[in-house]
Amino acid sequence: MIDEMRDLADRIVGQLHHKGIDYGDARVEYTDLENLTFRKQRLAEAELQASQGVGVRVLVKGCWGFASCSGFDSDLIEKTVDRAVSVARAGASVIQGSVRLSEEIPAVGHYDGPCEKNPFEIPRSEKLDLLARAADIMHASPIISMSWSNLRFERKRSAFSSTEGTLVSSDLCFSMPLIMAYAVHNDEMQSRGFQEGARIAGWEWIEQADMISWAEKSREEAIMKVKAPEGPSGVMDLVMDGTHLSLTMHESVGHPTESDRVLGWEASMAGRTFLNIDDQEKLKYGSEIVNFIADNTMPYGVASWGWDDDGVPGQKWYTVKDGIFQQFGSVRETALLVNRKHSRGCCRAMSFSSFPINRQPNFYLEPGKEQITPDDLISEVDKGVYIEGRGSFSIDQRRVNFQFGGDMFWEIRNGKKVQPLKKVIYRSKTRDFWGSCDGISDDRFFKTMGLLTCGKGEPMQAARMTHGASTSRFRNIEVGRGAE
Amino acid sequence: MTREKLLNVIEAVLEKAEVPDVVATLTEERDAAVRFGQNRITQNVDTFERKLRITLGDGERKSVYSTHQIDIGAVPEILDKAMSVMKTASPDPEYMPPVPAGQVYPIVDAWDSLTAEGDPSGRTEAAARAIVTAERKEMEASGLVGMTCSNTAIGTSTGNLAHHRSTVAFMRLTIDRGKASSFRLLNAESWKDLPVDNAIKEVAEEAESDRNQKELEPGEYRLILEPQAVADLIPFVAWSMNARPADEGLTVFSGRQGESVTGGNFTLSSEVNGFLKGNSFNEEGLASMDVVWIDRGRLVNQPCTRYWAEKSGREPLFIPGTLALAGDSGSIEDIIRDTPGKALLFRRFWYIRFVDQKELSLTGMTRDGVFLVENGQIVHPVADFRWNWKPLDLFSRIEKLGTPERIWQLSVPPMVIGSTPL
Repeated sequence: MIDEMRDLADRIVGQLHHKGIDYGDARVEYTDLENLTFRKQRLAEAELQASQGVGVRVLVKGCWGFASCSGFDSDLIEKTVDRAVSVARAGASVIQGSVRLSEEIPAVGHYDGPCEKNPFEIPRSEKLDLLARAADIMHASPIISMSWSNLRFERKRSAFSSTEGTLVSSDLCFSMPLIMAYAVHNDEMQSRGFQEGARIAGWEWIEQADMISWAEKSREEAIMKVKAPEGPSGVMDLVMDGTHLSLTMHESVGHPTESDRVLGWEASMAGRTFLNIDDQEKLKYGSEIVNFIADNTMPYGVASWGWDDDGVPGQKWYTVKDGIFQQFGSVRETALLVNRKHSRGCCRAMSFSSFPINRQPNFYLEPGKEQITPDDLISEVDKGVYIEGRGSFSIDQRRVNFQFGGDMFWEIRNGKKVQPLKKVIYRSKTRDFWGSCDGISDDRFFKTMGLLTCGKGEPMQAARMTHGASTSRFRNIEVGRGAE
Repeated sequence: MTREKLLNVIEAVLEKAEVPDVVATLTEERDAAVRFGQNRITQNVDTFERKLRITLGDGERKSVYSTHQIDIGAVPEILDKAMSVMKTASPDPEYMPPVPAGQVYPIVDAWDSLTAEGDPSGRTEAAARAIVTAERKEMEASGLVGMTCSNTAIGTSTGNLAHHRSTVAFMRLTIDRGKASSFRLLNAESWKDLPVDNAIKEVAEEAESDRNQKELEPGEYRLILEPQAVADLIPFVAWSMNARPADEGLTVFSGRQGESVTGGNFTLSSEVNGFLKGNSFNEEGLASMDVVWIDRGRLVNQPCTRYWAEKSGREPLFIPGTLALAGDSGSIEDIIRDTPGKALLFRRFWYIRFVDQKELSLTGMTRDGVFLVENGQIVHPVADFRWNWKPLDLFSRIEKLGTPERIWQLSVPPMVIGSTPL
């Protein structure tokens, strides 16, 4: 199938060569999706999707045009090519085009994402048995009023060809388990669930994620949480694991360092950034132990696609090094505008029917180099909270003023975790927060979270990326209770 | 495809399926839009998607299969794939057959041919006019202008067959310089009904008046919400209303049907073919209808699936794509002028998230314009800030409502909320 898709992409680009355009590319995609969902102890949804189509992007006098169609009908594809050219010309007729792409070496190749056990070859009965067992375990207590257990598998095959001679393809399998238990007690409701999300991997990720253990842990900790006292308020220290910090860094580091935001291209929707172009390699972003590494080559990272939707290969670089902001994640269209010669390969479209835009790469907080455990970090906290997993999250459109919750909280008193808590939120400002980081445990405690639903752009697109961290400590953060 | 061709595919699926229970939906959607930012056009797109969704059931098990591969000749192959999922599904203790025959589908007048057939020049020129206006004022324009048209046919093995189509023309516009900004969302079924030039002029003027912001001084303020700010909050109330999660103790509405949940001047409903144009049917093929959800503060109806309706003795209800909050009369200018004492005027909220779903407590930021109002006069703009509120508390303290305006699929009035500590 990949060969046929590459041929089709190449044929479309062949048509583009005769349309009087300055640049053009074609994406051909075929995606299979399997989604199995238990609501409580019942299979609520068993769904298969087969998605296929073509997206065509052209540049005419510095103006983009993009058109797409579902299916591989040759007449429809020909009309799609014409529509892409037509809308680009409409733009060029009313406004001076300014798109200038960075020069990149045309790539030719194919990338297979890691997948040891093809999940589409695992019998559905095995998947449903696993979900049913997980649901039964969660509902072993009557305090669990509701639960979700879900398995989502997606095999995405794509081919990309451009008028500059790039012809690349990939075959990627995304696997995501989900467990979530909701406990209701004394008119309160609290939830707890599996936090590590998706990976580019096969059934082996489901085995490794151990949904059965997570079902039990989610049940017990949801019950513990719903019966727990509400969290303290005031200024105190926080110790947070990688599944929690993944979201904090996504919002306060990943988004502000997208190059399209500093240019104002997201001003009407996702927003801008507090960063300026001149801040690269100068601005203090965090404490000296804070290093963020962007890495679109990390094997199971859900943004490791081989090449991005500009045909630029996956790369690894420092976003923040020794606490200093280094550079924006860029695409071919933005690289020159943020004073870089080459794209960082962050151009992604949600599907064949979406125009590719600047997205976050996989990135993570580099683990500490010394042997430090989470308990070591906690032992030096007199008053604070230990937080695991994702909860409520909100940040202003310049990515400065944020408020986060979490999925599980423990009170820390005199260097020890003493009791579970509920309804904890904390508020800070991006650079203050990362500047307050004074301890990062080593890579034995590194955890990741693969997101499939980062919303951005207009029309809105969902993108995917993986973040990670080892458990880390932050000093003197404002903590509140619920909606206080 | 024409209506007839869409329905032919649906009928072929219903005819060839070898199970008793079938629901088939065929949807075509075209989106054409120009995106702009930094006073340049950044995208110009025209996308088309045709999708077939088939739900099969044998009385005990069911499954869903969706595909972009669509033609009548391929129906047997598509059904084979759909059957393969259904055969391996586990029995569903909440199994429901397709909706009964005899659904009466409302006719929704939501289609404008000129909008559906419009070429890219109108969209592109609208974006260019916003850009030129912003450039002249040394500001930046960003946003999206375009149209969506959708064309959907549905059929059930119980004998229902329906078709619905709609067009939406829209413009989202931000004009800003530094921290000063303003925003407008326009939408209508027809492109000709969008007041594009007026909006560009107003948004540019509002952005200018947002300069020289001052930090919020702690104190008690009345809250004046423009329609967009109200529209930003209402969906969180609507998402929390579902009957089953409420009955399971998961939401703020648990055990509260029939009780007062807001003030007596708050009435929230859905309409199918009024000022707002909803969908004719839901994804099961159940006919849409007008529903009042909260009547003068009292929770009178909750969205409810057919299974849960049968089990809990309710009527199966769903939100047909629209929400309308009843208003009174008066523009936002009238409301500002009539507000005594100290108040804050909000144009829009941003990044609203649940803090606690059971309490229906939310957090969010202000965006694109907050102003201090004293005795009916705007005094100065205020810097954006974070808030943590419970919307049912806010809507229990509404002092005044204005004339409703359309914000996407919501009809919402401006409002004044009583004194609130900030």
